[in-house]
Amino acid sequence: MSFPPEPRVDYRDAVGVVTLGGELDVLQANALRNQLLAAVRNEDLGLVLDLTDATYIDSVGVSLLFELAERLAERQLRLAVVLPEEGLVHRVLTIVSLSSVAAVEGSVDDALTAIGR
Amino acid sequence: MRSRIVADRLSDLQRITDAALAYLPLEALLEELLERVVTILGVDTAAILLLEDDDSTLAARAAKGLEEEVERGVRIPVGRGFAGRIAATRQPVHILNLDDFEVVNPILRERGLRSMLGVPLLVEGAVLGVLHVGTLTERAFDPDDTELLQRAADRAALAIFSRLTERERGLADSLQRSLIPRLPELPGISLVGRYLPAAAARLGGDWYDAFPLPDGRLGMAIGDVVGHGFHAAAVMGQLRSGLRAYALDGMPPNDVLERLNRLLRQLEPGRTATLVYLVLDAHGGYLTVAAAGHPPPLLHPPDGEPSFVELPGSVPLGAARHSRYELRELELAPGTALILYTDGLVERPGESLDTGLERLGATVRSADDDLQRLCGHIIGALLPEGSRDDDAALLVVRALPLSDELVAEFPAEVESIPVMRKLLARWLDEAGATRAEIEDLVLASAEAAANAIEHAYGLAPGVVELQASADAVGAVTVAVSDSGNWRPPRGTHRGRGLLLMEGLTDEVEVIRRDNGTTVQLSRRLGAQAA
Repeated sequence: MSFPPEPRVDYRDAVGVVTLGGELDVLQANALRNQLLAAVRNEDLGLVLDLTDATYIDSVGVSLLFELAERLAERQLRLAVVLPEEGLVHRVLTIVSLSSVAAVEGSVDDALTAIGR
Repeated sequence: MRSRIVADRLSDLQRITDAALAYLPLEALLEELLERVVTILGVDTAAILLLEDDDSTLAARAAKGLEEEVERGVRIPVGRGFAGRIAATRQPVHILNLDDFEVVNPILRERGLRSMLGVPLLVEGAVLGVLHVGTLTERAFDPDDTELLQRAADRAALAIFSRLTERERGLADSLQRSLIPRLPELPGISLVGRYLPAAAARLGGDWYDAFPLPDGRLGMAIGDVVGHGFHAAAVMGQLRSGLRAYALDGMPPNDVLERLNRLLRQLEPGRTATLVYLVLDAHGGYLTVAAAGHPPPLLHPPDGEPSFVELPGSVPLGAARHSRYELRELELAPGTALILYTDGLVERPGESLDTGLERLGATVRSADDDLQRLCGHIIGALLPEGSRDDDAALLVVRALPLSDELVAEFPAEVESIPVMRKLLARWLDEAGATRAEIEDLVLASAEAAANAIEHAYGLAPGVVELQASADAVGAVTVAVSDSGNWRPPRGTHRGRGLLLMEGLTDEVEVIRRDNGTTVQLSRRLGAQAA
């Protein structure tokens, strides 16, 4: 583990896929913000954020996701978040209705499809 | 008659040095001494050069008529030139005509000096520096002059020596104190460190450190920089800074050691150091550790035999260019004491290290649970009074048993949150909560704590109190209290924080007291969250 967690960025055609594990909390969120925003290229259609390996997210981490969705929307880009079926991160993002601002999918492939739709 | 004059001159000199010895700072003392030497010997210049810590360079420290020598920071290699030769041979050197002599220091010629006489500053046979005088016109210094100058040099040497050792002792004390860290206070964890200086009160190279990591685990290190004195202590300080920097980035222990090896080789080629660095999840009972040529940590489970952590053979930091260190991961039984130490604690002359390790194991076996007493017991048994020629360090940690009702205090800063989460997770686990229940209650409590930290105190320091209890029907209540001026949550973060607290527990109650606010979170275990 590193502090903050190091996001891994891949590109699938016109979509950036950011994989983020570990804890997205009040101590890490600020350092992550710029890294997440920098992953978006001008010509991209959207961003996939894979949180399959994330173990913890607090309200500051949640706000970072909402902010990311908002910043992408301003540029007509879409955000899709990949979540495991269950677990704390899934419960948290359900409580705060992340699905109101982003596509919430079970796999990276589904998320890529959601952005292409 | 002549010897009478010499005696008078000497007593003049003695008076000034004796008086100055007691009251003047070293630099002023040397100035006074030189002035007196110039007058008594009737010379044009006088200067004192002192040997640097490297034992191979003389540096000008005080001068009369040759002030540039000090101002320009003149440095002379021992063995070369006029002063260098005096230091190397420990004998007076007399030069009648400077033109016939290889001079290192250009200022001597620039100043137009013609004749010179110099003597070594000696204490107990060791060279501290050089005192020399010079004249602009040719002068054949006689044996009385040499004797007088040597007597002055002896006086100066004694004064310098006593000042240096006094200053060194003061510096050593404050340096050592600054290198002994204040250990963090972590609720539910007992952490005790001891540093034992060598009997000779010289600076040693042993050190330890312990600090919470950003994920709430505890980073712990103990090490031994080879060598003694200021330099070893300074290297120790650099290693400690380097270790914390790498550790706070979240690097695993083996990577931290590999980077420290690189760092040490660049900072101090040829210097070696042993080190154990480990990351302890004290509440979870999980340990990751790597060692660089350091004896293994000792584990003492509450109902078992002490055993040393099995570590692969490893080389000290600084010993090889590309050292690889292996990571070991192990689980600890709840309540296991972890004992880190340096070789000064276990090694005795003429005895194998194994014998010392066995003695440590036997000592720990017969000790009780309290870590302060454990440390006292270990030190009393392993370091009999007065027999210490090496320094020693000891660092022990143990997760304390938690009571049915948990009460803990944390500094009101966000860095406390991960530490609090680890503690509460252990308490909930011991209370029988499932993994999901633990996760939910811990996150809800972390939100309450974050709110208190952000809104109750502003920029003033404060304390957040955590309380947890379970009732007879299996409902858990966690209370997070501050004693600040609570403000309603502001901004979307905190709005979401309240939403999360409500979503992850059965009931959230905000209780405003006269002297602060308590957020009370309840959840019945074994049922779905509301």
